[in-house]
Amino acid sequence: MNLILIPIVLPLAAALLVLLVPERTKYVKELLASGVTAVCLLTGVSTLLSALFGPPITLDLPWAGAGLNFALRADSLSSFLLLSVSFFSFLISIYAFSFENKGDAKWFFFNLLITQAFAAGAVLSENLLALLFFWEGLLVFLYTFIALSQKTEASKNTAKKAFLINAVTDLCLLVGVTIVACISGSMNMTVISGAKLTMNGWAGFAYVLMLIGAASKAGAFPFHTWIPDAATDSSVPFMAYVPAAVDKLLGIYFLARISIYLFALNGAMQLVLMTLGAVTILVAVMMAFVQTDYKRLLSYHAVSQAGYMILGIGTLNPIGIAGGLFHMLNNAVYKSCLFMTAGAVEKRTGTGDLSKLGGLFSVMPVTGICFLIAAAAISGIAPLNGFFSKEMIYKGTIYTGHTVFFWAAEVGSFLTLASFLKLGHAAFFGKRSDNFANVAEAPFSNLLPMAILAAVCIAFGFGAELPVTWFLNPALRTLNLQIPVLAGFHPDELYWLSVIVILAAVINHIVGYTLSGGKAYKASDHIHYAPLLQETYALAEKRFFDPYEIVMRAVPFVAAAIYKIDRFFDYLTDALPTRVAGAFSGASSRLHNGSYPLYMAFTIAGALIYIFITANYGGIR
Amino acid sequence: MDQSPSNIQLIFALKTAVAAPILGAFLIPFANKISVAARNTLAVALGLVTFISAAWLLPGTISGLAINYSIAFPLGFDFILSADMLSVFMAVISSFVSSLILIYSIDYISHYENQTEYYTMVVLFLGSMMGLVFSANLLWMYVFWELTAFASWRLVGFFRSDRDVLKANKTFLVTVFGALCMLAGILLVYFDKGCIDMRLLRGENISNVAAFLILTGILAKSATLPFSTWLPDAGVAPSTVTALLHAAVLVKIGVYAYARIFGVTFVAAPEFSQAVLWIAGASAIVSAAAALVEKDIKRIIAYSTVSQIAFIFLGLASGNRVAFIGGLLYILMHSVAKGGLFLCAGIIEQKTHNKDITKMGGLFKTMPITGVSFALCSLSVMGIPPFGGFFSKFLVFKGATQNGTLGVILMFLAGAIMTLLYLSRMFYLVFMGQEKPDSPREGSIVMVASVLALALIGLSLGALIYYPSYYVDLLTNQLGVNLQ
Repeated sequence: MNLILIPIVLPLAAALLVLLVPERTKYVKELLASGVTAVCLLTGVSTLLSALFGPPITLDLPWAGAGLNFALRADSLSSFLLLSVSFFSFLISIYAFSFENKGDAKWFFFNLLITQAFAAGAVLSENLLALLFFWEGLLVFLYTFIALSQKTEASKNTAKKAFLINAVTDLCLLVGVTIVACISGSMNMTVISGAKLTMNGWAGFAYVLMLIGAASKAGAFPFHTWIPDAATDSSVPFMAYVPAAVDKLLGIYFLARISIYLFALNGAMQLVLMTLGAVTILVAVMMAFVQTDYKRLLSYHAVSQAGYMILGIGTLNPIGIAGGLFHMLNNAVYKSCLFMTAGAVEKRTGTGDLSKLGGLFSVMPVTGICFLIAAAAISGIAPLNGFFSKEMIYKGTIYTGHTVFFWAAEVGSFLTLASFLKLGHAAFFGKRSDNFANVAEAPFSNLLPMAILAAVCIAFGFGAELPVTWFLNPALRTLNLQIPVLAGFHPDELYWLSVIVILAAVINHIVGYTLSGGKAYKASDHIHYAPLLQETYALAEKRFFDPYEIVMRAVPFVAAAIYKIDRFFDYLTDALPTRVAGAFSGASSRLHNGSYPLYMAFTIAGALIYIFITANYGGIR
Repeated sequence: MDQSPSNIQLIFALKTAVAAPILGAFLIPFANKISVAARNTLAVALGLVTFISAAWLLPGTISGLAINYSIAFPLGFDFILSADMLSVFMAVISSFVSSLILIYSIDYISHYENQTEYYTMVVLFLGSMMGLVFSANLLWMYVFWELTAFASWRLVGFFRSDRDVLKANKTFLVTVFGALCMLAGILLVYFDKGCIDMRLLRGENISNVAAFLILTGILAKSATLPFSTWLPDAGVAPSTVTALLHAAVLVKIGVYAYARIFGVTFVAAPEFSQAVLWIAGASAIVSAAAALVEKDIKRIIAYSTVSQIAFIFLGLASGNRVAFIGGLLYILMHSVAKGGLFLCAGIIEQKTHNKDITKMGGLFKTMPITGVSFALCSLSVMGIPPFGGFFSKFLVFKGATQNGTLGVILMFLAGAIMTLLYLSRMFYLVFMGQEKPDSPREGSIVMVASVLALALIGLSLGALIYYPSYYVDLLTNQLGVNLQ
């Protein structure tokens, strides 16, 4: 069997097998899942090595007729993604060993394995139809993942919301793909990249449609609104796995593929992309800042970070793109880690409400340290991984000359750090409630993946050389880009600006903390309840700005209006002919009144008409 | 003509596929005199024999054999049965779904009266469908066309209340009106070309008047705007009938005729195809909106059929190979998935004694298998991988893009999005939400097994897409006319 089929077929088979394992068995499902994902991880390493030092592994089979083949190709970018996806599948399956609050274990691992299979398929696809197949196939399992993670009604509704938002944007992607296929006459990405599409007419339309698909998968504004809902209505392992890691990886991967590899964007589209990134950063971080629930706060950051990646790709210069891709990986690492700490805290205290938590650092030190590292990384504090990728994105942004986006991103960084100061302070420091007197550290299976991810945050920070050489430079080469100098610590203006941002955030926290009377979870209130912002926040909390809610409210009215057309045609084919026929037969039956002279008159009139017609058109002439 | 034993065998299979159900239907009342079991067995056996005979023809047509059988009539009105890849494709799908519906009926229909008439008409209907797909002579196609209208009239009027009879009459009158227009179109062709044997007319041009007259018949039969509303109204019939008529067979007659007449026989003017695309686009949106408004579960599924039929027309009328392949695959995927949805609705209706989805809720807890089947069939209709519906939807869209009319593409994109909305709305109102007191239990084993089978077939059609698409690809290459 071809090597690159392993990370697709093996988890698929294992997923079906998991369903047969009885629910009460201990560790069988867990071991199966972690074993299978470990194999996928190794396959990822091996495909990356062969892409780096030789020809990439490919596969090409006849498939759906009309010349559409099932083509996979593990070039260095795809292999990098495969490696990352499998890495998170592996860590999450370890984390889930002793995390009960995730719905039925067999369904959890079924969904996890099948998500791994489809995500692997999507990143390895060379043919756009194969990509679409795996990409859209994730929809079903996104739904079941959320719907089966809790027994509540709310989880079903959030699952529906996630499903519908992604299904609609996937349809846009589908149409975009068909247009690309028509213009370039091929569905194979290497062929299309040979003659990149330019932004005119149909191709521009196709790019926008595909951008919608990619941005939605990455959870960018305005397609993000299911993610905060899922934070409360699904399980922590799901959040750490799908919205924090896999979805971001897929979305940004595909965004890079289309924006750099398949299309040659123009200045206008670049502005669209960078605006999308900046708006996503700001809107989501503003929402994150005022949250008082551990997971919900994190989920808004998951959205906000996607903005940085889109901004990075949108710069269209190598350093910005490299930054975007690096940030994609880094974000998955620290965000997954942060969600895991949220899970550990929830597991031990039974809550994620920041107003109840506090002082957990002394009883959960490992969790606390992991949190601190990951939070510092997401806030872009040197020399952790988040700092380096953000720095690259900033540089790329400055090179484009549109400095307004740079400042937007810096404001985002300020608010990110401010909200993590609030979160960390409220959860891990301050006074511990008496209810949590007997709280213990999380179990080993939870701590291990957390610690690995925290270690990666440090390793990819100090040793940014490593991912740059092995992942980013080869990925840039795959995208046919020049390779800039990426690694290394530069104590330039950007560094000093980051220090200023840190100081500003700390001061802001102290101010907020003092104003709120020493309650850390209220440290954002001075901004939350500022004039104008207060009203806006209130509307946002009521989902007034949620496009999904807006559309769902409008649907019945629009449908009822269009339904009138259907009723009109029903009238034309049903009521109207009946009425006309009734009127006609009624009239003619009234004429048949038994009067001999009337019948005689009809007969003569008919005869005259007949003679007239035959005389004109018939044989007499 | 090739008289080799294998060919004689194939001609026999062809004759059986048409004659067995048509003649056999009239034996059903006699079988009823023996026993109910004998009648039911005969009906199911006739369905299976038809399916097997049709399937028997598959290998022959793939290898390119011409399988013909004809009886001479004067004036060029020869009765000709001809099996090619397209007719066998259609015959296999409709006889398969019909057989499954007959099996499901054994339990479902046993709760009602007039069962003998029901079985007779279902089998007669299947037979006339077979006659229609295999007829190479337009006149005989018309004859079988009217025979299906007659059978469907009796079937829609299965329940005898005034309202049911009224709706049955509507079904009959609208489709017969269309058929008469079609007959006029056929006559125009006859006077124009002096021949109505489609094998001989291949690649000929057709005048726009004749084409539009025939199209009227097709639109009326396939329930497309402006003749669409008889279909939801016919939802008063038992669910098996609606599954048979609305999903699997009757509405497919129109699209089959379209594929046969305008896809593989005549070359119609480009404006004609373009007009069909716009009509279909409007039909997709209007009926999807209706499906979002309606509360009756069967009316919703019926409107959904109207909307999906439009996608088939999009495929068949876009004028290129990819779209044509997609349209034909769509027929297959939709028959299976929509048949499953109607049969699920049958179980739900029978168990809850209710058709209003706003009065249902929480049924997933008590009817999990029906619920899962319903969900799987819905996903296939939505066109989500790994279900078969994904590929047909993709190919149809790809073909439409090649055709390149932006307005049409946007209309169908809207239609596809609305499909997501009405199906998820229906699923949530029926299966999710608050459980009602005294929720019913799962339906009988035969019924639940039938719907689960259809759901799983939909899934495996996606997993094994290579085979159906290979067949359809070959078909399009062999028979397609005027395709880019």
